[in-house]
Amino acid sequence: MKRITSITFLLTLLSVTPILAQIENPDFMQSIGKIYVVVASIVATFIGIVLFLIFIERRLSKLENQINDK
Amino acid sequence: MKHWWKILSVLLVLYSLTVGMLVPLKTGIAEVSPLNTTTGEDVTLIIQGYNTNFGDAKGQIRAWLKVDKELSLLAKSFKVKSDNLMTATFSIPDKLPGGAKVKDATLILDSEVDGSSVLPSALFISQKNTASEFDVAEWSRSPIANLHEKDGMSFPYRNVLSETIRNLFYHVPLWFGMMIILVVSAVYSGRYLRTKNEEFDFKASAFTKVGILYGILGLVTGAIWAKHTWGAYWSWDVKQNMAAISVLIYVAYFVLRSSFDDPEKQARISAVYNIFAFAALIPLLFVIPRLTDSLHPGNGGNPGFGGEDLDNTMRMVFYPAIIGFTLLGVWMANLIYRSEIIENKLLNRW
Repeated sequence: MKRITSITFLLTLLSVTPILAQIENPDFMQSIGKIYVVVASIVATFIGIVLFLIFIERRLSKLENQINDK
Repeated sequence: MKHWWKILSVLLVLYSLTVGMLVPLKTGIAEVSPLNTTTGEDVTLIIQGYNTNFGDAKGQIRAWLKVDKELSLLAKSFKVKSDNLMTATFSIPDKLPGGAKVKDATLILDSEVDGSSVLPSALFISQKNTASEFDVAEWSRSPIANLHEKDGMSFPYRNVLSETIRNLFYHVPLWFGMMIILVVSAVYSGRYLRTKNEEFDFKASAFTKVGILYGILGLVTGAIWAKHTWGAYWSWDVKQNMAAISVLIYVAYFVLRSSFDDPEKQARISAVYNIFAFAALIPLLFVIPRLTDSLHPGNGGNPGFGGEDLDNTMRMVFYPAIIGFTLLGVWMANLIYRSEIIENKLLNRW
């Protein structure tokens, strides 16, 4: 379980890096009427919700471990 | 079908994502040069349109420079260079109305294909020192009339915002959702204090967790939006600061919770704190930003995001987005609440 969590976390980080690089590039963000600002906001919200899912996932695996131990 | 509201939340978020991104913007005037001229001269404006089809509209384009409520000037000739680029030539009369030294003129473009678009303060006209008399007829020979409306559903075009006006569906609903979820959380805290039923306390803490998530996401999406419209990620705007403070107040709720060993004490004190935190949230988000200057619409003398900015086509996406994100938050809070109940049952059994 821990491995899946860390892999998800790593993949999320990997997907964030190119987005951050693009956000720093003003020409890209200003192109096509600044539409990529909206895209960046949606991606940020999605990543936030995924991180929250990982948080719930870890809670549940902790509970599973407790049940299995006893 | 007890899961209908979860399906509804996903459908509403999907709807706001697809419709919110696919509906085109109305036509607009992105840029005009030169920015100023003097009276008595012929000025040729290079007009850069957004989403325009000047090529198709050729021959039926009309353009006005509007200087006040009644007076306007019709362009005398046009040249279309591409769908997004055209020039319009105006001959400015010798005398500005009302004896003004400088006047700013609003540029209005209209054609049947594109509908009408407006750029306020597009051109500044300064008065040259001439003794000629003011002649009303020179200004209002062709009044603005018969403006067209573009066919089909479209969102308004605003100059600095441009396409980012769509962020209204992905930034603002997070804050609306946070507000609703925190109201629910405060209500559960109140019910805990009345009934001393610990399930209500678990519910309150689960909803607060989602509220914090939405608050942080609102701050992040707001910062990205601010960078490209206000010029910086964080402009120390009142509403930005107050929103950050209120998120921190709610983070402190969990710091407080974790500092008690006795579960009953923990539940009681954090319920009281939650109600006070909610009482602090209202002035922080809704009162203080309205008292001082703020970059946010609807605060400090700024007009609200209403009227022409939030027109009926935007409402058709905005309200479903609020309901969708709120229900999605309730779903996530529900998952946490259930895991907390299980944890509590396990603790009690052993």
